[in-house]
Amino acid sequence: MTNGYRASAGIMLAPAVTLIGVFILLPMLLTVWLSFNDWSTQTPFSEARFVGLANFQDIFGSTSVGRDFKGALVNTAIYTALSVAIILPLSVLFGLLVYQRDVGGGTLLRTVLFSTYMVPMIAVALVWSKLYSPSEGPFNQMLGLIGIDPQPWLSSPRSALISIVLLNVWQQVGYFTVLAIAGLTQIPGSLYEAATLDGANRTEQFRFITLPLLRRTLLFSAVIAIINAVQVFEPVALITQGGPVGSTNVLTYHIRRVGIERAQGGLGSAMAVMLMLSLVVVVCALFAFMSRKDDE
Amino acid sequence: MAWTSKLALAAGLAFLPGSAWADAVNISYLTHWSPETVALLENAAKEYSKTHPDVTVTVRAVPFGDLLTTLRSQSGSDGATIGGIYDLWLPELARDKLVAPAPEAVAAEVKGAWPAGVVSAASVGGALYGIPNEIDVYALNYNKELFKQAGIDAAPKTWEEFRETAKKLTKKDAGQQGFGMINSWAAGVVHPFASLLVSNGGELVANGKPALDSKQAGETFEFYDGLIKDGSSDPSMATADANTTGPFLDNFVSGKTGMIIMANWWESALKTGMGDKFANIATAPIPVGPSGDKPHSISYSWMTVVNAKAGEAEQKAAWDFLAWLNGAKSGQNGASAMSDILMSMGILPSRSSDIEAHKEKLGTEFLAGYVSVLSDAKPFPVVPGGQEFSESLQQTLEALQYGQVSAKEAQAKAQADAISILERAAK
Repeated sequence: MTNGYRASAGIMLAPAVTLIGVFILLPMLLTVWLSFNDWSTQTPFSEARFVGLANFQDIFGSTSVGRDFKGALVNTAIYTALSVAIILPLSVLFGLLVYQRDVGGGTLLRTVLFSTYMVPMIAVALVWSKLYSPSEGPFNQMLGLIGIDPQPWLSSPRSALISIVLLNVWQQVGYFTVLAIAGLTQIPGSLYEAATLDGANRTEQFRFITLPLLRRTLLFSAVIAIINAVQVFEPVALITQGGPVGSTNVLTYHIRRVGIERAQGGLGSAMAVMLMLSLVVVVCALFAFMSRKDDE
Repeated sequence: MAWTSKLALAAGLAFLPGSAWADAVNISYLTHWSPETVALLENAAKEYSKTHPDVTVTVRAVPFGDLLTTLRSQSGSDGATIGGIYDLWLPELARDKLVAPAPEAVAAEVKGAWPAGVVSAASVGGALYGIPNEIDVYALNYNKELFKQAGIDAAPKTWEEFRETAKKLTKKDAGQQGFGMINSWAAGVVHPFASLLVSNGGELVANGKPALDSKQAGETFEFYDGLIKDGSSDPSMATADANTTGPFLDNFVSGKTGMIIMANWWESALKTGMGDKFANIATAPIPVGPSGDKPHSISYSWMTVVNAKAGEAEQKAAWDFLAWLNGAKSGQNGASAMSDILMSMGILPSRSSDIEAHKEKLGTEFLAGYVSVLSDAKPFPVVPGGQEFSESLQQTLEALQYGQVSAKEAQAKAQADAISILERAAK
């Protein structure tokens, strides 16, 4: 009976496992294997030449290959950290505002917030590159009205990456607000009523009821926000081309330049492996942290 | 009509299109040109199809920043049959067998009708891979109106004069810079620097080896550093986007940049952006550095190549179309159709007979300045790893522009990076 059950379970799982194996695991394993080879993306896999850890030594070395990769890794980390640090609190704040049942126009606000997520990135990039224009951009004109000097935005290595982060926050915050609202709907209203009877004010209710019970939603949001941020590509490719001085050169854009434009498949694969490992480490650390909090 | 005759007629009609399809060849042409220029190319293709009804040419355009990636990622038999490429990309595309060598007849025609230097930039290991079309050269562009306002009579001829002129043209309160240095676009950053370097008697690459450790190169890095330290060049006014436009172009066309070193091809962008004010723009040779003998500049060329993985019939049709497009009979008054398209953008054609055919247009004030420096221009080095070398030098020059490194550090870094990149590419 047990064997029959196992066999039927195996048969039913086989299609999904095969698809995952062929389309997800195999490419991942192939990328890992290529990272140990010297290979041009324009040649067959059979022409790949095993070089051991040479590609990894290069990408962490002191030549321009290593410098550019390490720069892109740091830029990606900063971009991800800033995006998550701004998006999550904002999404909770907007979620709380929109979720208030006694405030009119909540549905409209929810729609407006979510609409930014539906706008294609090409349109966002086109508009924001003009908004950021140092001489004629509306942002600087508005700052001028309140007596603030024009800012260089995308034209300075100091502010270019932050400008791209702001663009990302604008586009993504609506989606994460919807997630926060979904989390808020799961919190029973009776808890707030009881807390009110016990004399808890709004801040205390937020700190001791809302935030702890939103933890799982926030964990999910954080993981998705990290993955989205690490995969940033379009605004960099469309607006800054990684510049100025490589300040917006993020890993996905850099891997495309190395692996496709320069056809250095081995080096590109080594970079992709490092990106994948970094992502795994960060997401696992996040889960471990939340799990510890749950235990406490 | 008997039913058998009707059946035979129907069968015959059904068969006719089938036989036409069997001989039809579809070829595609990938370019980075603007929609207006693409329309001109499509018109030329229609003209060609009148005498070659079995060949259909479709044109597809992508932004310049995506052109090389598109060529590489869509290099299979279903990719574009013809691609317009920058000469710097050719060695690696040929090494990776993505482009086909030209048939003997085409190669013989090109070798006889184009200057030897241009033919050599379209060749690898002695074999011709592309039909050259445009040649671009760098010169100093300046705004005569801003010169007049600053009391300057003539374009600077030496670096000393250049630096003084740039200072006089700079008005920080009015958001005006004397000299515009482009950033965020490899060729836009490297080519003006290389033009100043050759005008100072130096070279980027000599005998296949980087030559950025020379005295002339050191002086060029120092010159850039000086312009930045004087405040005559503001890097935040010079960012480019994927379409090679952006703030650097906006600031020049709106009269907020006094001088820029740029190639002839941007005539059409200037005309579009400036309208009647385009008459304020003049061209002058690159100022001569302390170690230079006379004005020099750098040049580079573009060519059309054929996808080596396309089918035999497609390749044959592609070479035939390109030979016609670049031939002396396809355009107006003895010019090629390609040169007519190029001249609509202010781009210099490279075929000798085209230069003769467009003599009048090439004599306009803006373009004449470019034509005059062409004979003393030095081709940008076409070596394996050239694109990576350009991108690396771009990073170093931008770091210098933004004050992140000194001139000496920039020179040492640029040379060390160039050695490592070119050595790896040569393996």
